[in-house]
Amino acid sequence: MNNDLKQEQIARINFYALLSRLVMSEVDEGLLKSIEEDENMLSFFPTYKDWDRRANMNREDLIQKYLNVDFTNLFLLHLVPYESFYMREDQMMETGGDNPVQQIFSELDFRVELDKARVMSADHIGIELEFMYMLCDSELKALEDGDLEAAENIARIQYGFLNEHIMQWAPMYLLNVKSEAGTAFYYDVADLALEFIMSDYEYATQLKNSGYKYEI
Amino acid sequence: MYLQSRRTFLKGAAFSVAGVAIAKGVFATDAVAKSVSESKFTNTPDTISFYPDVKEWNSFKELDGTDWKRGGIERHGVRSESNPDGIQVNDYTIVPTVCSNCEAGCGLTAWVNTNEFEKGILTVRKYMGNPLHTGSRGRNCAKGYAVTSQMYDPDRIPFPIKRAPGSKRGEGKWVRVTWDEAMAAIGKKMHDTLAKGDEVSKKSIMYHVGRPNENGFGPRVPQSLGIDGYNSHTNICSAGAREGTIQWANDDRNSPDWGNADLIFLQSSHAADAGHYFQQSAGLIADSRKRGAKMVVIDPRMSNSAGMADLWIPAWPGTEAALYLYLANRIFHEKKKDGSDIVDHEYVKEWMNWDRLMANKAYLKKMVGYGYISKMPRDDSYESFIELAQELYSPYTKEFVVKECKLEGMEYKLDELWELFVPAGAKIASYLWRAGAIGHRGGWMNTRAGFLPLALVGAMRGDIGGVGMHHWHEISVAGKGDKATVAGEHPAKTDAWNEIAWPPEYPIATYEMGFMMPQLMMDDEWHAKWTKRGLKIPKSMAVYVPRMHNPLWINPDGFRWMEALKREDKFELTFNLSPTWSETNWYCDYVLPVGLAGERNDQQSTPSKPEQRIEFRQAVLRVAAEKMGWKAKDPTRATLEAHMKFGLGEVWEESEFWPNLIMHHVDADGSLGVAKYWASKKDPSRCVTVPEWFDTAMSLLPKLNDAAHKMYPEEEYPVYSYMRDHGAWTEKTDVYKPQEEELKVDREYVYAHGHKFPRHEVEKDEFGALWVQEGDFKKSIGIIKDNKVLAGFHTLSKKLEFFSEWLADEWKWPEYAIPIYPRTDAENDKMVHLVTQVHHKHMHAENEFALNTIYRLPYNIHTRSVNSKHLMEISQNHNPVWIYTKDAEKLGIKRGDAIKVQIQDTLTGIKSGYFIAMAVPTEATRPGVLACSHHAGRWKLKDAVNIPGFEHPLGIMSLGSPKVDMTNDGKVGTMTTTEGIKPHEAWQFKEYNKDLDDIWWNGLSGAWQNAVAPCHPDPIAGNHGWHQKVIITKAGADDKIGDISVNYENNFKVYQGWRDQLTRPLNASDKLRRPYHIKRPVKPSQKAYRVNIKDV
Repeated sequence: MNNDLKQEQIARINFYALLSRLVMSEVDEGLLKSIEEDENMLSFFPTYKDWDRRANMNREDLIQKYLNVDFTNLFLLHLVPYESFYMREDQMMETGGDNPVQQIFSELDFRVELDKARVMSADHIGIELEFMYMLCDSELKALEDGDLEAAENIARIQYGFLNEHIMQWAPMYLLNVKSEAGTAFYYDVADLALEFIMSDYEYATQLKNSGYKYEI
Repeated sequence: MYLQSRRTFLKGAAFSVAGVAIAKGVFATDAVAKSVSESKFTNTPDTISFYPDVKEWNSFKELDGTDWKRGGIERHGVRSESNPDGIQVNDYTIVPTVCSNCEAGCGLTAWVNTNEFEKGILTVRKYMGNPLHTGSRGRNCAKGYAVTSQMYDPDRIPFPIKRAPGSKRGEGKWVRVTWDEAMAAIGKKMHDTLAKGDEVSKKSIMYHVGRPNENGFGPRVPQSLGIDGYNSHTNICSAGAREGTIQWANDDRNSPDWGNADLIFLQSSHAADAGHYFQQSAGLIADSRKRGAKMVVIDPRMSNSAGMADLWIPAWPGTEAALYLYLANRIFHEKKKDGSDIVDHEYVKEWMNWDRLMANKAYLKKMVGYGYISKMPRDDSYESFIELAQELYSPYTKEFVVKECKLEGMEYKLDELWELFVPAGAKIASYLWRAGAIGHRGGWMNTRAGFLPLALVGAMRGDIGGVGMHHWHEISVAGKGDKATVAGEHPAKTDAWNEIAWPPEYPIATYEMGFMMPQLMMDDEWHAKWTKRGLKIPKSMAVYVPRMHNPLWINPDGFRWMEALKREDKFELTFNLSPTWSETNWYCDYVLPVGLAGERNDQQSTPSKPEQRIEFRQAVLRVAAEKMGWKAKDPTRATLEAHMKFGLGEVWEESEFWPNLIMHHVDADGSLGVAKYWASKKDPSRCVTVPEWFDTAMSLLPKLNDAAHKMYPEEEYPVYSYMRDHGAWTEKTDVYKPQEEELKVDREYVYAHGHKFPRHEVEKDEFGALWVQEGDFKKSIGIIKDNKVLAGFHTLSKKLEFFSEWLADEWKWPEYAIPIYPRTDAENDKMVHLVTQVHHKHMHAENEFALNTIYRLPYNIHTRSVNSKHLMEISQNHNPVWIYTKDAEKLGIKRGDAIKVQIQDTLTGIKSGYFIAMAVPTEATRPGVLACSHHAGRWKLKDAVNIPGFEHPLGIMSLGSPKVDMTNDGKVGTMTTTEGIKPHEAWQFKEYNKDLDDIWWNGLSGAWQNAVAPCHPDPIAGNHGWHQKVIITKAGADDKIGDISVNYENNFKVYQGWRDQLTRPLNASDKLRRPYHIKRPVKPSQKAYRVNIKDV
């Protein structure tokens, strides 16, 4: 397998994993440490990198007193990180089996452990991004195995999911997060997520337009 | 950086941590089942209908909530024999009941899962509201939904326990007993006491009821025993409010029409935040505000209500009367914008007893003597009364009220209040209760004065949007199932008067002085004094029975309670009818586990709006089982049997316990003549059953009786059946102005209050009131106006009593018989009975404050909810001390600092001790006033007790209280926390409690400040003055939040000081113990009211 393709695929996996984790739960000291100690990762959080509070506080206090408060505001209390809220005219969350995203997961034999995720329904932004992470991971494995048909099938699902779901609402939500963020960290999380998703959608579109011709 | 290049993102491939290590991993794979086309269920419910139609309540099927969201029925289909992996369908029997966590009595429905009924398992999966309850309208507060966590509390006491033989009270050694063994021992003691038959024995059994949440069954228990033995928690939290209302209307509280008011006028946060009927009141207030009503909150603390109000007035606590009389002054002197008077003359002239004041020349002379008015009125006319009132209230100027209520800089708020008050006219709804009324000496005058401006504008007429009276909207029939018994009549009134509950220093207290019981019991000097004067006061209680009550913890001077309850010569046998572990349990001889909201049988009635309604609390497992065809072996013990059979444990309740105890153990041979009051008329060999009793009692409501007989023509107990299936009944709506209703009069009789009086025996006085003889006393039954006989108010004059003539003439407090408040510094010192113990004149140094203790934490209202995991989790805030930001700055106190809060009595100057609390500087309490609720600070001495022969240790408040070390030597008591609560496993109700390993809180909800506070009752109303003067300093290095240290010997001196310096006790000139016309729960005979105090 072409190394560039492999690196690209790993990058996609890593971004979807990181972003889904950050928007699903509060950041913990271990993850924050990983981000801060990895120059590459930290470069994606430019505002946070230069944030004076980061310099003046230890990680525990920073998390307890600022990041968790902001997370609560952005993901639990005042903004609604669920697709159905943005997509339904009545702005109600669909928490039952009729949720279109839930139906996709069901069709693919996936079950979301809502308790573990601590979310109300399967169309939470963190779940959708973790779903993309899993698809990218599967695609990489298929490519590594040389099963191009499987890889193409998975890539089609990715395009469809981005096109019909994530792109339909996540940019709006993430712009709201950027606007409402009270910490440099979550401002950067929103900015990074927004740009990465748009960039990845462009990539998925190009791949689709190429007739799924991977540069093996 | 919009947009970054794809190449930039490629750096993500070089992350040092792989995605797999970061992703949360919330997906699992799962095969999809074929959809079930025949099912009634859909993937997502078509509508969210919390409450199915009542016709479906006996069997309502619903998908299990833990599964259906994970893909609906298309995931696994619906569970059946052929599809065991499908989603479970729960078959619920929905049984209505009533919450028992506060006085509001909101409707509940218990969703009893009957899937495993055949295996002997019934489980309440959830408690929801009852849409048929017209007060709560299907809604509940957090406490209502938390009832499940109380029912399946892992520390639920599973069977009766008894202090181990040979151990002392408080040692914590217990053995298991059966209900029958407990009843045999208790019954014998009660029998032997009653068999003596003398006066003292009729005062030696005390039934001390906490929040009753029922209407009349409890009081009937001691009455049926022929004793004066009813005691309650009532007065400590409400006596001041009751006193003020009794003087106006001889009703112990008002009843507002929130939903139709134009102005919501709140003194304290009680009505809408966490107080009486608050969930229902808050909903109605929200309705009226949506319609445009305004809201004013007078409270030193910015409560939730104050935060949402149109106007918040943080008057200095206890000075509210000055504010109300300022309003009265303006009402008397100013006019509306259209030039008309603000006073509703038509109403005041007709319905206020100004005429009796103007006719009482002796009293008017006293008023001149007090300096209230400068001269005698020129005549008896209404116009002269208005002139008198104008002069009387003219000193209550804006300048005065700003100084007295310490509202400097907030003068504009008084103008805003006026602008809100006047346009509302008579549509002002208020509930004058709690903090202002009971936190203070003289707090009752805050209610008395508060009703004056409302009365003057006609809001006290009880019309739409105004203020009615409590008993108009309440139905009390729970004690009236008499016809179901062999006796067939209500037990006779006793001739005994119990001085422990009704001491001679407090003849007009409202009501029993229950919270000072240990002080009285241990005060030999007091006992000797009154014995010498001819009273026969018991030296000990043969049997003391708290019921859903935790007096040791909730009352002031807790260490005195502890000392008293440990004294077996003072409390010979004690047992607590308690649904949970409590501090009081620890010092009792028996703990008998009784039911909570879904495990009891009670009739309740909560006057939350202008209607008459009853609620029926039920043992829901019993009801569900009976609907499934189960029958108890002994119908008189059906609730206990059901709880044992269907997995709750040996949990019983009073409406079955007391009849069994009295009939089979207290008076087994009938020689005491009391068994007949509980023996069943249907089968005299046994006591009454729940259906027999409550069917008879509730049949007294004529409309309910009719409806029930139509709906249940085949049932033996149709009224019971109706209430069993519906849980609530509204007998009458739109109950307004009943005082203006005409009484029926025919040629022979006048009909009033359910009685008929021969016309020739009815006398009319010069003011139009109609009087009849009732035994030795006279009582008024109506009033003539415009040649019509009207019902009138409940007062002697049948009008609202601006002038409390009985208080002035016979009951020794003439200077306070009209709404009044000291106007000068000299009066402030002289009229000490009306001046709060936390008045700002007592605060001298920068670190001296008034401590506002009386506001409820919405989740921790009564001590029974201590071990609800859901309520505990959301109430862990260490109940901080709120301190005004700038006060904190001056003292160098920062958020989270531990501070020492020392209590000092301002009458005697004595210091009690201190508690350590966490300070939180905030703008939400006024300068000079701290706030710290007294509803927190639970404690336990041990984590668990081992019961010989029982394999599991019984946990003690393992979800709600830390463990403490305690010392007490008879003079000084201390307490410090040693260990918080920890995650653990439950041995019972495991399925419900599998999340106990998630406990993150340590259980320390604050300090036990109640123990530090001395017992100091208001000399007139008898309420404990909850607020305290405190001196604060930063805590020392060895002090921990939650610590307390109390000199309870000093507290005893404070109690004596308030009693002896401030009260006006009965003396040789008195002929009665108490005014006969005002309420006394469980009234004894007229003979008992007679008193002859020897002059020594």
